[in-house]
Amino acid sequence: MQLLNRKYLFSFSCKMRFSKLFYSQLLKLMFYSVLFFVCRQKSKMNVGVAHSEVNPNTRVMNSRGIWLTYALGVGMLHIVLLSIPFFTVPVVWTLTNVIHNFGMYVFMHAVKGTPFETPDQGKARLLTHWEQLDYGVQFTSSRKFFTISPIILYFLASFYTKYDTAHFVINTASLLSVLIPKLPQLHGVRIFGINKY
Amino acid sequence: MVHLFMNPFEKRITNSFEEAPMYVAVLTYMGYGIVILFGYFRDFLRAVGFEKCHQAQEREEQKDFVPLYQDFENFYKRNLYTRVRDNWNRPICSLPGPVFDIMERVSDDYNWTFRLTGRTIENVINMGSYNYLGFAENNVDFLKTVAEETRQYGVGVCSTRQELGNLSIHEKLERLVAEFLGVESAMAFGMGFATNSMNIPALVGKGCLILSDELNHTSLILGARLSGATIRVFKHNNMQSLEKMLKETICSGQPRTHRAWKKILIMVEGIYSMEGSLVRLPEILVLKKKYKAYLYLDEAHSIGAVGPTGRGVTEHFGVDPNEVDVLMGTFTKSFGAAGGYIAGKKELVDYLRSHSHSAVYATAMSPPVVEQIIRAIKCIMGVDGTTEGQRRVRQLAENTRYLRSRLKEMGFIIYGNQDSPVVPLLLYLPGKVGAFSRAMLKRKIGVVVVGFPATPITEARARFCVSAAHTREMLDKVLQSLDELGDYIKVKFSRHRSSYRPELYDETDFELDS
Repeated sequence: MQLLNRKYLFSFSCKMRFSKLFYSQLLKLMFYSVLFFVCRQKSKMNVGVAHSEVNPNTRVMNSRGIWLTYALGVGMLHIVLLSIPFFTVPVVWTLTNVIHNFGMYVFMHAVKGTPFETPDQGKARLLTHWEQLDYGVQFTSSRKFFTISPIILYFLASFYTKYDTAHFVINTASLLSVLIPKLPQLHGVRIFGINKY
Repeated sequence: MVHLFMNPFEKRITNSFEEAPMYVAVLTYMGYGIVILFGYFRDFLRAVGFEKCHQAQEREEQKDFVPLYQDFENFYKRNLYTRVRDNWNRPICSLPGPVFDIMERVSDDYNWTFRLTGRTIENVINMGSYNYLGFAENNVDFLKTVAEETRQYGVGVCSTRQELGNLSIHEKLERLVAEFLGVESAMAFGMGFATNSMNIPALVGKGCLILSDELNHTSLILGARLSGATIRVFKHNNMQSLEKMLKETICSGQPRTHRAWKKILIMVEGIYSMEGSLVRLPEILVLKKKYKAYLYLDEAHSIGAVGPTGRGVTEHFGVDPNEVDVLMGTFTKSFGAAGGYIAGKKELVDYLRSHSHSAVYATAMSPPVVEQIIRAIKCIMGVDGTTEGQRRVRQLAENTRYLRSRLKEMGFIIYGNQDSPVVPLLLYLPGKVGAFSRAMLKRKIGVVVVGFPATPITEARARFCVSAAHTREMLDKVLQSLDELGDYIKVKFSRHRSSYRPELYDETDFELDS
């Protein structure tokens, strides 16, 4: 009789303990998740730097004179290509468009992370430069500028190639390859897991 | 546009951050672009095997594991910093006074490794040390009291202030600091960084608001982060930004509950060490009173360095130091010692004595260091019977004004306030940064240069720290070298150059009465 009682008590208390444990864990989980969302801090410790900017990469495209430098760089590329005697003007424009879009794709949408160590423990390591701009805020002025500039180049290239079919196909494909990653819906998206890590 | 006629008060409060012409910014980006492209090229060569890789690499057995470090994160260090690495961490073999000796080192493999040649470059003028009043010296008479106190108290305390480490010399120091600053009470700590990072959590906590300047030092940022308060950053020295932020945060309250804030603390520094700008203290005091906030003033660089008698920015602006709620400073820069202090009302400091992390866990200050600070403060105050302290403060002010005005005349772009002993000279282009530092060392002048990412990408600079121990001849030598070098490297970008006319009337150009 006594043995049975003890066994019964033991199994009953086990069950009680298990449910208590479960509820306590659930409560802890809720508490910590609430704490996490409430206590997210925005400022970091920047050793050895003179500003409180965590990731300088986010501000580079807003700096003074960089849009002008970029435009001059594209102009320089165009002039260099124009000075090669073999290429006709339509070919040069298509080449400018394609090389510019290729360069933009590589540096803004393929290369991930920062070229220097940041004090935020690698939050930006898996983000491309485009995704890092302005800490992910969409539709800022530099984002708009860098979206519009390949479109302008595309217009110019289409005009100067006289809307020839082959050139059109190449230019359009190149433009799409550099416009689609800029869509806000594709922020952080990696298709087929390419370039994920 | 340029405000040509400023009244003396405006001159004391304005900081100038002149912008270089646009072509300089374009050239800077092109410079970085070229170096980045070459960096990619060199990385490719290293990966293929044409070029020897000098950096540490993972072993063959570890190649299948997840890499410890990302290659790309060290891109900047590998391809930009290493090329100009010989301008930093130069070994010296004398004390860092106004002149010092540098051990000569050369690199055979483009700065990947260095070797000392055994020679010493002697009497290099030191324009980089924070030696504002020249107390980094080895003068026997001045250090006699330090030696006596060391014999009496020992070298270390090995205990915290709250346990066994509270010596009478500590209390003497704290009374002296309070008297020096003109406040009720003060408390001293062993480390300047720790003064900020350990005491801000004791003053503010969750439910409080911290408004900190954009360019605040790491110690302030760390202290703010450790405290758990909400932090908002306002634009550097910008009173409109601060007022707007005060209005917004007071109206909206705490982040989720929208309750009133428990405390609002505005954190600013006296002199910002990278810009050389002075805080706009009178305006901040007006805002503070209007919105009922507290002010935390970090005078790490400005104590002893500004003000007619070296009492800091409060004296410089003619403001009563009791109006600032928490006065913080360090003994590292102007006093030639180590440590920091917090001063203010007696209730505040008594609270900190029991609640500060430093008081409970950190070792108390070492007695020789304390005595050095005591004798430095006594020297500045004139209590030791000499006018040496006042001479030094005045010499520093003179040197500052002289250096700044001459540099401005020559056409360099200098940031900051006309009275701040920190003089950043803008170089902008990454190539010029390396060239400048090396050329100055060849001329036997040691300078500190800083570039991206420690500064914004277009604003690489050389920073001069004027010292009271610099003589007029040293400054003249520095200025002459800067003049020649500035023309050679072409860093004289200022468009507000005032012409250097030594005489009002040129005697050789008069009309003969005929």
